[in-house]
Amino acid sequence: MPVHRARFTPERHSRREMLCRCANGFGGVALASLLAESAAAASRLPAPHHAAKARSVIFLFMDGGPSQMDTFDPKPRLTRDNGKPIPLKTPTTVFNISDKILASPYAFRQYGESGAWVSEIFPHMAGCVDELTIVRSMVSDHSEHTAANYFMHSGSGFQGRPSMGGWVVYGLGSECANLPGFIVMESGLVPPGGMDLFGSGFLPASYQGTLFRKGAQPIADLEPRESDAAAQREKLGLVRRLNKGVLERFGAVSEVEATIANYEMAFRMQSEVPALLDLSGETPATRKLYGLDEPDTEEFGRECLLARRLVERGVRFIELLPPFRKGCDRWDQHGSLAEGHRVNARAVDKPMAGLLTDLKARGLLDQTLVVWGGEFGRTPCAQFPDGKYTDKVGRDHNPFGFTMWLAGGGVKRGLTYGATDEFGYYATENKVHVHDLHATMLHLLGLDHKRLTFRFGGRDMRLTDVHGEVVHDILA
Amino acid sequence: MLGTGTLRRFPFAVVALAAIPGTCLRGADPAPEQVEFFEKRVRPALVRSCYPCHSGAIASPMGGLRVDSREALAAGGQRGPAVVAGEPEASPLYRALTYAGELKMPPSGKLPDVEIADIGEWIRMGAPYPGAEGGAKAPAAPLEKARRSWPFRPVQDPPVPAVKNTGWVRTPVDAFVLAKLEAARLEPAPPADKRSLIRRATFDLTGLPPTPDEVDAFLRDSSPDAFGRVVDRLLASPQYGERWARHWLDLVRYAETNGHEFDNDKPAPWRYRDYVIRAFNADAPYDQFVREHIAGDLLPRKRLSEDGALEESPLGTVFFWFGEVLNSATDSVKSRADEVDNQIDVVGKAFQGLTIACARCHDHKFDPIPTADYYSLAGIFHSTALREDALDSPERAAATRELSRRIREVNARIEALEGAVPASRPAIRYRPEDAPFETFEGGFGAWRTAGAAFGEGPVNGEASSLGAGAEAFTGTLTSPKFRTTDKLFLHVRVSGTKADEKLKERGPLRFTIVADGYKGQHIVPDGTPGAYWKTLRLVLERNRDCYFEIVDHSREGYIAVDEIVFSDSAEPPENPAAPERGGAGAVSADSGELERLRLLRRQLEAQAPEPAYAMLASDDWPRNARIHVRGNHQQLGEEAPRGYLRVLNGGAAAVREGSGRLQLAERLASPDNPLTSRVMVNRIWKHHFARGIVRTPDNFGATGDAPTHPELLDYLASRFVESGWSVKAIHRLTMLSSAYRMSSESAAEALRADPENKLLHHMPVRRLEAEAIRDSLLSVAGALDAKMFGPSVPPHISKYQDGRGKPESGPLDGEGRRSIYIQARRNFLTPMFLAFDYPLPVSSIGSRGSSTVPSQALLMMNNEFVAEQAGRWGRRAISQAADPRERVRWMYETAFARPPEPTEIDEILGFAEARRSRPEEEIWADIAHALVNSVEFIYLR
Repeated sequence: MPVHRARFTPERHSRREMLCRCANGFGGVALASLLAESAAAASRLPAPHHAAKARSVIFLFMDGGPSQMDTFDPKPRLTRDNGKPIPLKTPTTVFNISDKILASPYAFRQYGESGAWVSEIFPHMAGCVDELTIVRSMVSDHSEHTAANYFMHSGSGFQGRPSMGGWVVYGLGSECANLPGFIVMESGLVPPGGMDLFGSGFLPASYQGTLFRKGAQPIADLEPRESDAAAQREKLGLVRRLNKGVLERFGAVSEVEATIANYEMAFRMQSEVPALLDLSGETPATRKLYGLDEPDTEEFGRECLLARRLVERGVRFIELLPPFRKGCDRWDQHGSLAEGHRVNARAVDKPMAGLLTDLKARGLLDQTLVVWGGEFGRTPCAQFPDGKYTDKVGRDHNPFGFTMWLAGGGVKRGLTYGATDEFGYYATENKVHVHDLHATMLHLLGLDHKRLTFRFGGRDMRLTDVHGEVVHDILA
Repeated sequence: MLGTGTLRRFPFAVVALAAIPGTCLRGADPAPEQVEFFEKRVRPALVRSCYPCHSGAIASPMGGLRVDSREALAAGGQRGPAVVAGEPEASPLYRALTYAGELKMPPSGKLPDVEIADIGEWIRMGAPYPGAEGGAKAPAAPLEKARRSWPFRPVQDPPVPAVKNTGWVRTPVDAFVLAKLEAARLEPAPPADKRSLIRRATFDLTGLPPTPDEVDAFLRDSSPDAFGRVVDRLLASPQYGERWARHWLDLVRYAETNGHEFDNDKPAPWRYRDYVIRAFNADAPYDQFVREHIAGDLLPRKRLSEDGALEESPLGTVFFWFGEVLNSATDSVKSRADEVDNQIDVVGKAFQGLTIACARCHDHKFDPIPTADYYSLAGIFHSTALREDALDSPERAAATRELSRRIREVNARIEALEGAVPASRPAIRYRPEDAPFETFEGGFGAWRTAGAAFGEGPVNGEASSLGAGAEAFTGTLTSPKFRTTDKLFLHVRVSGTKADEKLKERGPLRFTIVADGYKGQHIVPDGTPGAYWKTLRLVLERNRDCYFEIVDHSREGYIAVDEIVFSDSAEPPENPAAPERGGAGAVSADSGELERLRLLRRQLEAQAPEPAYAMLASDDWPRNARIHVRGNHQQLGEEAPRGYLRVLNGGAAAVREGSGRLQLAERLASPDNPLTSRVMVNRIWKHHFARGIVRTPDNFGATGDAPTHPELLDYLASRFVESGWSVKAIHRLTMLSSAYRMSSESAAEALRADPENKLLHHMPVRRLEAEAIRDSLLSVAGALDAKMFGPSVPPHISKYQDGRGKPESGPLDGEGRRSIYIQARRNFLTPMFLAFDYPLPVSSIGSRGSSTVPSQALLMMNNEFVAEQAGRWGRRAISQAADPRERVRWMYETAFARPPEPTEIDEILGFAEARRSRPEEEIWADIAHALVNSVEFIYLR
């Protein structure tokens, strides 16, 4: 008898689900959560299960899978035995090519009061380690990008489940009046798995993540077709007057009323988004902090700064995707690890440190949960693209032990948690499965992952399926 | 102290556990917190660490001990009872776990201390063991009892109830609806006006708005069966099949690409879409339709296409293959299990309204589906493989063979006249590191051909798609399945016409290695003369179940393969001088005869048929599946004999030969199956009344909704079977009722008494589906192309869509084709569709969402396609009449099937007047755009 049986209640749907379904009616919660006036919306938001530590999430998703032994989990043994066969039973990996140990090309040092180890490719983040809980014992179920991406985002390795951002907005609503509650920012790279990584699955379409592209027009169909705002307003005025008659004809049908109200919100969004993107009010110091004016960090710096602005506006879940770097395919360094990880780290290091610093200075870090990591880590063994040991050597995918870090709302500061074996292959101590991460994130937001359910296909579905334990050890 | 120690030393030698009061394992009904403790902290550890060797899922548990039930623990194994309730230290199980004694369990390594402590704590509680761990042993609910619950009861043909207001009853459907309303003292809503009714019926059956002429004809027809004639006209229109096929495609997760990382194209999935459209239009009996889905390739009598050239029935089986396909599965056994799970999910929901897939890891919690039954069904699908096969009817295949024979005859005469000498083929010298797989020295052996191209066997040691005598023939040559080894390289000697490698598995000329069902790597000929080696480095294809396919689906070009060899060496074997293709001999004297023969050859070649292949099912290595304990494919339990769910199997014997799909098809399509007919009539009802009689159309089980009108459901199901499973008969029965003709006005009293309209006191207002909205836009704009069938139009890709496998963009207006013909690319679904709740192609969706999100309004306000169609509609309005009032009237009739109210005309003309300085086209485009944005455009009443 798995645990999910106990969750079936005599009422067919949870209160939250009822609210969400009725939300297609005027003034319902889905609309409120998505777009309604914030003051009024707050009173109509679904109640959390317990007091929340964090209000918003910023997920820094490192598409491709950064290597743990080259970032936050140093392994001297690899340096010692570089090139020797690894004395471990190794699992099937995607390319399954070699068993030769590969030393990290980078130097590590301890930083801060916590003395956390950080590799030389994160000089700015090294200054922030006392804000972090570094989890060195992450475990995932999938060793292939697409499945692992779906898994990290939705708790299932397949297309079609709601993304965690969708679950969070479903659970808590959004406090933002004129913007979607779940926003994803990209700078030229959508991870394998595509837009369904941010999909609403079986939840209503209102819980889809909205993808913001870089540039002045971040989302589709935002720019009015009319030559000027007045022309559009006139046209919508005509629509409104015609709709009034139609409403009489159709009777007071809540769904139809909601559709009419929806136009008002869409209209407001047209001006809210450009205001969000207008960074002219930010000080030169802030621009510098995020690396906005340096070519290496400009793209991710902008994403990070916008993330802070979204947090300020009450957007619930913000996911940032790393920028495109020619010649380095995301963090997926099967070859040219030394160069590739350095380039990828350079693109995000300063902006992330800037984000943490800025959030803290504005008193927002305490209520914002920041999570960093990829869909899996990498193998301690080398992969040789040329069949020879050269500087083109890289690492394969490894879901059996990898590193992520968390900061802000409700997590311990300056903690390094869990461990991998001496090669960094398998998590050995205090394993944190992806389901556990999800359970913990929901917990910090005031949601019980076992009670956040949606009935679909005869089952009460969860982000954590039938798994997941909150990792209490890392909670502040 | 001493006494205790003595006792502890011999606990299981002297204590017959259940016999001594106070020590017996806790009996029935453990306390809830104990259950929770056990389920959370103990059972997972037992399942993970002990079940693999000590459970009922194992034929002979190690040491005779099972730990999967209270009784089994009490009975113990060869060493006696395993647990002494209340005394962990005295329990052999606990001692073994602590590695305290000689016996150390599990042998692979000690459990974490915390788990051992939990198990100790649990024994201290008295080892409460809730419930039976069913597995293959105990069905979740006794079948006899289950068969009495409503969805499994035989369909009754209930008497039509008596009602007071007999005047309202047009068809027996009305009596069932009215009886319930009268019992609740509620009145049905008044009839809808004729304009609303024809708009409703036209959208319902065709997904398009009625034309003004169609509305006029209906208004003028005052005969009593005027509406019946409208329904008949709509049912006979080709657009009916397009509309209802789309509903069906939602149930089979129709998608035209594989998704995952690269979103590769599936081969010719549209042939299935066309098959469904034809089936609905022809009103193919639904039982036959079901049979064809499960076993269309195996049916002794197959339906043929209208011209008799192609087999129609096998196309049903294409639906098996619409799932997501992994591009590099690291655990192919699991991937295959997941694929089968998805097939079970779809078959269960689409045909039976059952969530069978819930029983993958444990007995279904609420429905009578034990895990063993899940694996009985899984065995059928594990014994079924995807095969891209020719659809040629036996007649066409015979004609093609005859044509091939004649061409080869002509070829031989030409060669004789030309004096061509057959080339001798030097043998390859293989090295010790080579493992030759095939040299095509004999016949095709166990290789299987589809289509004509490869002829009857290799020619001169070469498998060639010129084997049939001409490039125009098409075909596939497929190797038997085999297990690959560790060898890292595959060398294949090929020749042929230059082909495009980027097309991957869609490529019409290719050699492919298929590993565990995944079409991994391809070799295509590069057009160089003669045969040459091509090498693949095997990554995921080693130690897998593989086969090769050599494909020529092109009427032009050929491919030939003469050597296939696995090797440890990255270098191919040495290539001896390539065999020459018919070297020139003495020129014949009779050049006139040669000319005549060449002409004849060209004429014959032109008669070669158009290729028609599809992703069909075929039986493959029929075998039973073993239960995956807790859904884990690495923990195999008992073998489950192939067959259908016991609760619905009608006592049929286990499958002995073949996959079992034929038997499954018969069970599903049987009039005795209580679910097949009920589920389908409920789906038809749902699309006419917005909600089904069972409001969870894909779940008739205990966690779904009970029917609001159970007798009506059975009445419809009875008529359905009686009509020969005619879907159109159910449309007529439903639509000609007074219930369907009600208006959408709801009386306040009725709303209070029955706010959810379960008793059907009015027709609900509905939003149109994504496709109907887009098709309406094209329709009013006069831009809809009525062309049916064929390969899909690529979707328009905006700059806001990104990701791997991003395809080239199709035209903005989709060539004006109906939405069902826009290619369903799994990773690049059309944003307009997604905004309006188009379902992801992952499971059966019998009831789409109807959400309200700003992206819908933004799209209707600002999207380029919407604006373009509004512009065309505006220009059409201008061309209709000079008088602006007339234009407005025409627009209203075109989109809303009604004339505008005077106030509406005034509003619109006032708007136009305010813009009079602008060009006329712009003004009317704006008016059209406003009307498109009015809620009436996307709502039906």
